[in-house]
Amino acid sequence: MVPVYHFLWLGAFLFCAGLMVIITKRNAIMVLLGIELMLNASNLNLVAFNQLHPAHLSGQMFALFVIIVAVCEAAVGLAIVLRVYQYYQTSVPDEVTELKD
Amino acid sequence: MNFVTILFYFFEAVAALAALSLVLVRNVFYGALILVVCLLSLAALYVLAFAEFVAVTQILIYAGGILVVIIFGVMLTAKIAGKPLVVKHTNVLSGVLAGVSLFTLLVYFLSSHKFFEDQKEAPPSEDAINTIGFGLMTEFVLPFEVAGIVLLAALIGAAVIASSIKSKKV
Amino acid sequence: MPDTPTHYTAFFEICLLLVVLLPLLSFVVSGRIPERYSWAVTFTAPLFLLISTICAIYVFTAVWHHQPYSAKVDWFAIGGTMVSAGIYLNDIAALMLLVVTFISFLVHVYSTGYMAGDAGITRYFSMLGFFTFAMLGIVLADSLLLMFVFWELVGFSSYMLIGHWTEKEEAAAAAKKAFLLNRIGDAGFLVGLMLIWTNTGTFDIVQLSGINEAFSWQTTASLCLFAGVMGKSAQFPLLTWLPDAMEGPTPVSALIHAATMVAAGVFLLARVDFLFTPIALNTVAVVGILTALMAALSALVQFDIKKILAYSTISQLGLMVAAIGAGSPASAMLHLFTHAFFKAGLFLCAGIIIHVLHQAQQQAHEHFNVQDIRNLGGLRKKLPFTFLAFIICGSALAGIPFFSGFLSKDAILTAITIWKGEAFSWKWMVLASAFIVSFITVIYTFRMVWTIFMGEEKLTASLPVVEPPMIMRGPVAILSISSVWLLVDINPFSFEGWLFNTLHSGDHFHIGAISILSALWIVLAVSAAYFVFRNKTIHADLLLNNFYLDKLYFKVVGKPSWSLAAFTDYVDKRWIDGFIHASAYAQVTVAHLVGWFDRAIVDGTVNGMASLSRGVGNFTRSFQGGKIQGYILWAILAIIIFLIWVLF
Repeated sequence: MVPVYHFLWLGAFLFCAGLMVIITKRNAIMVLLGIELMLNASNLNLVAFNQLHPAHLSGQMFALFVIIVAVCEAAVGLAIVLRVYQYYQTSVPDEVTELKD
Repeated sequence: MNFVTILFYFFEAVAALAALSLVLVRNVFYGALILVVCLLSLAALYVLAFAEFVAVTQILIYAGGILVVIIFGVMLTAKIAGKPLVVKHTNVLSGVLAGVSLFTLLVYFLSSHKFFEDQKEAPPSEDAINTIGFGLMTEFVLPFEVAGIVLLAALIGAAVIASSIKSKKV
Repeated sequence: MPDTPTHYTAFFEICLLLVVLLPLLSFVVSGRIPERYSWAVTFTAPLFLLISTICAIYVFTAVWHHQPYSAKVDWFAIGGTMVSAGIYLNDIAALMLLVVTFISFLVHVYSTGYMAGDAGITRYFSMLGFFTFAMLGIVLADSLLLMFVFWELVGFSSYMLIGHWTEKEEAAAAAKKAFLLNRIGDAGFLVGLMLIWTNTGTFDIVQLSGINEAFSWQTTASLCLFAGVMGKSAQFPLLTWLPDAMEGPTPVSALIHAATMVAAGVFLLARVDFLFTPIALNTVAVVGILTALMAALSALVQFDIKKILAYSTISQLGLMVAAIGAGSPASAMLHLFTHAFFKAGLFLCAGIIIHVLHQAQQQAHEHFNVQDIRNLGGLRKKLPFTFLAFIICGSALAGIPFFSGFLSKDAILTAITIWKGEAFSWKWMVLASAFIVSFITVIYTFRMVWTIFMGEEKLTASLPVVEPPMIMRGPVAILSISSVWLLVDINPFSFEGWLFNTLHSGDHFHIGAISILSALWIVLAVSAAYFVFRNKTIHADLLLNNFYLDKLYFKVVGKPSWSLAAFTDYVDKRWIDGFIHASAYAQVTVAHLVGWFDRAIVDGTVNGMASLSRGVGNFTRSFQGGKIQGYILWAILAIIIFLIWVLF
């Protein structure tokens, strides 16, 4: 039986790694990858906490729905990235300044 | 220390190293592959946490779906074909600061809570997949349907946004 | 004799104003006439003076033997003290008024001939009118201050007229010399004015004459006033400018010597003689007789015809001043009056000689100095009219009986005789000197007449000399007629005529013995001149150069002044300029420092504020600068801070 806090530590680490990727990478696709990593970190937490209440499977259900939302997010996000790339010929989020004043 | 524990540590280490290398890597394509590694090891960890269905879903959707889409995206946004898409780093110092400080905070809180008392020796439920199937159709039917609609809308939206038929530069 | 003061009518006042203002008008009009119409000035200027003279005759008849006329207006106020300006017209002033306008008129008429064709003729007549106006101002002024103003104007216009021929260096130098020597005297005048003001608080002559007691300051003040007289009337030691002033046009010399300039000094003395204490009067007498003696001796040896006349004028002025010093202003005024006519006549005669000889020289293309009497001689045949006029006026100058000069000189000699008292004292020396002066006067007059008109013609023999036009002979004729005894009294041996009796205020005196002695003395002098000096030329460099006064002044005053000027120039260049330059450098340095401070500190502060606000703006802008990852970063940081704040 693996202790829960191992999962929690790993989740925390993955979350922070995803966060750093989001903040530091100058590429929209890498930002999407970081987001995926952060979503997986939360999924890991949900699954781990589900161990404490094995009778209920709410944690796993939540994880499933999160995966579904992640799929949607990845699809729409990549579509936007492609569109932006077509329009601005760049995928660097900082260089997309049309909405700036 | 039994075999399961060794596996757990192994996959945990793989996932952590993959996440770390994702932070450090500069090639987007390598980043996608590293993410695949990370997600697969997470799927293994799900299995160890008695969540076989989630693990399978993880492998199917992430490794089979999202990562393929992402690799397509990487290839489509490369400016010059054949040349690796290398990204630059920005906000390095503040990003590291934010991540490390957040990690420190989380570890501190996690270690200040005792989850061992709450953890029981749960029997491995043989019918977990069965229970999930029932749950989806009964208790979680409304979110399930909503998720379906969201998926549909996202697919249509993604197709519309990405289609280049009317993509004329303004 | 005294009438009511109100008998002066408005017509009288208008005439009086016309007398004074017409020369001024002549000055203005002559100055405004353009160069092309300069001939018009020869009509307008004498016309103005003619009207002025006629008005002066009327004014003279109205005032003579009557109450003095006075009128005054407030001039200016210093603090609470009001200084007034006005007219005080008594008998002496009226007489002077007449003399000045009359002589000035004659000179104007004469000048139209003498100065015909001169380039600066408008300027000449303009200044002539101004000269007359200024002199009339002195005559009429009722306060010493106003008199001083006109006194200075006389000095200025004399400067302009002596230096009329500006292209002649000698004329310019002479004008400058006259001006400077007059300034020296005027400085004394000014000090005297201050003394009088300090002690009495008034400049008014009538009020001043009310002072009966003799105060100690009066000696100083009167001697200071006498310094002004020395300058104006060319008394020792300020006499050297007058011979040099001969560089001016001859009519101007006539005007200066007869009526306007040198008479001003004697007139001032007569006007304020009540201020003079006995000591001051003695000084005046000594200075006067010394001047008379020196000038007479100098006149004896001069060769320039105009310089002889100039020294004779100084000599006669010295006699007048001595008479005033002897306490008889009346006799001085009498001599001034007669002297004005015969000296003007002599000068105009000299002018005629110079003028006609110049014209003759131009026709004959010969050139020699026509003013040098050694070049002249035997002119009686070619210039009979001038010869006659010169003889008459010269006789008056020499004091021959039956001429006006005899009577006035007689009055002066009588005055000095009475003044010397019975006891033997130094005053006898004055009397003796006066007799010597009159003796020498006869000799140099005789010498002048003899050399010019008698004997054989020298350089002029070949010249086509003719008499001048009537316009020049007329004034000379009038002046010659005015030089006989009838002007003073019917009795040719009594000077106590209408003039003297009116002017004289004290006890009447007349010592017949003096007249007879004087007449005999003159006869002796004439015979001595004829027999002794007729064919002799006296050479004396000392006298020719007027006792080397000029050289003395140059050595004593001129050289040190130049040295002082050089020294002050050196100091100015070395020290003052150096100091100024140093201060300038210091200022530039300070300015640089200030500039640096301005740029670095003041501008730096402002620029610092600007860049600070720009930095703050950039910093705050970075929160919402369109950088999505930055948004995320800040959001995370905010969450971290929120967590720390909530959970700890």
